[in-house]
Amino acid sequence: MTKKSGRDAYKDELTTLASSNDQIVCIEADLGGKNHPFGQQHPQRFFNLGIAELAGIDMAAGLAEAGYVPFFSTFASFAALRAAESIKLTMGYMGKNVKVVAAYGGVSGGWFGTTHHALEDIAVLQSFQNIRIACPHGEQETRRVIREAAASEEPYYIRLSRNDAFDSLDRAEDESCRNLIVEGGARTARSKLCLISVGEQATELCKRIVQEDDDIVHAHLCYVDIQSLKPYIQPLSGLADQFLVVEEHRATGSTASYLALLLPKHQVHSHHCGEKWPIYGGTHAEVLDYLGFGFEPLQQQIHNILGGKDGF
Amino acid sequence: MELAIDIQREEISLLVDKAKEARKLIIDMAASPTGCHIGGSLSAIDLLIGAYSKYVEDPNTLIILSKGHAAAALYAALHVYGIIKDNPADSYGKAGSLFTGHPNHKLSGIPFATGSLGHGIPYAAGWALAQKMKQTNGLGIVIGGDGELQEGLCWETAQIVQAQSITNFVYIVDCNGGQNDGYVHDISPLRNLRQRFEAFGFAVKEINGHHFEEILAAIEPDPDRPVAVLANTIKGKGVAAIEGNPEAHYVKIPEKLAHKWKVNLS
Repeated sequence: MTKKSGRDAYKDELTTLASSNDQIVCIEADLGGKNHPFGQQHPQRFFNLGIAELAGIDMAAGLAEAGYVPFFSTFASFAALRAAESIKLTMGYMGKNVKVVAAYGGVSGGWFGTTHHALEDIAVLQSFQNIRIACPHGEQETRRVIREAAASEEPYYIRLSRNDAFDSLDRAEDESCRNLIVEGGARTARSKLCLISVGEQATELCKRIVQEDDDIVHAHLCYVDIQSLKPYIQPLSGLADQFLVVEEHRATGSTASYLALLLPKHQVHSHHCGEKWPIYGGTHAEVLDYLGFGFEPLQQQIHNILGGKDGF
Repeated sequence: MELAIDIQREEISLLVDKAKEARKLIIDMAASPTGCHIGGSLSAIDLLIGAYSKYVEDPNTLIILSKGHAAAALYAALHVYGIIKDNPADSYGKAGSLFTGHPNHKLSGIPFATGSLGHGIPYAAGWALAQKMKQTNGLGIVIGGDGELQEGLCWETAQIVQAQSITNFVYIVDCNGGQNDGYVHDISPLRNLRQRFEAFGFAVKEINGHHFEEILAAIEPDPDRPVAVLANTIKGKGVAAIEGNPEAHYVKIPEKLAHKWKVNLS
């Protein structure tokens, strides 16, 4: 069976959920594509409000106040940055039950260029507090996060990529995505290094690394907001003394930076997207490569860390 | 017929009394250690009193003050209608008080913190859309300011309201002509305001925003279109010393002066 991308998994799962939950409303800002399955199956609860991100999120807050569960989707850059104040006020401060689903996280827009990249969104969202931030990997984890968001009364920011499709890591049937997934590593002892992955590309990289080196353990995080990160500290502390957090984001405001505060007795390193602006075109992978984010630079960084010098 | 006219006169007289009581509270808040945005509060208070008198008991209708700097007026209106029990002037602006300088969503009757201008309009539009979906006949009513119309978000929302045919939406604009640094017409004039709203598909009503008969008539929804009420008001209305003066946007006054203003309320 063909795998779905995170974006398609979102649309499909929300459409299914809405069949049994008539409070769910789907809002798009003219980037959901034609023939949106939600619009086809639940036209009374589907709104393309047009290219108006602030008004869209604020109106979602009005709908939430009236008891609906609105999911608002657009690209990460326009949600987290253009509509930042609307998210801060309605979701962060007032805690309105709005779910923002942000596609094109990181540089998954590839050749679309700097205006469409979002390497700062987690930093912005983290700074607002009280918003659950989920970065699911693959179809199954995305579906599960959408179900968790719909069932929760908390505001959510769900960061997706573009059209790549992946197999999610295995989870037990009834297990929350808030739980860590740990794979690889020599299970009998603490590992020399624990890779922590956030998001799709990072998780794929970490999966490859641990397949090649079973001395390294890989912990996958789906939720990276501050409330969700705190419970990870104890289980992470048991895995290794050194951590390398891999995420398609800037270092500033990264998950690595917050984990470093929560793990003061450990060394926390970061494999991130550096400081350059991705001004050139190319595929998602090519833009990441330009930013120094990828398998070979990650291997080199691991080598440096284990040799005692993290030169990234 | 005579009886109906008498009842209406009595109703209006009651609203005038409530507005006077609220104005005294606003003046008291201006006499607090923090002071308050008195000019815009006094221009908006009759609109708030009128809106609450009509819809305070309708759980499906939400009234949002989008020009949140007039929080003193909102607190005063909610207090005179018994929704907020505590006298806001007693603790306004003090440490530990929920009566902050812009509306606090932790208080009864205030679902949204507003004051970053423009946001109250889409909150009300979202609420109205929800009522339309539920078929409750509830309204989204928003009281904004003319200066606030310089924010793009107001027009972004007006665009959506007409596109989604949200007809249970009443947008009252407190046109007092002033803003923080001076007159609206000097800073960024709002030319052809009536025509602008008409171009967005609104039914536009222009009224005297201190005349209760006109206010009550204007805040009725139109079955076919969203409504924009352009309410001509006077900044600082009721206090002769500051009426129409944009300098009275935000003031702190001594208690003695507050007493004098309250005695002389016009």
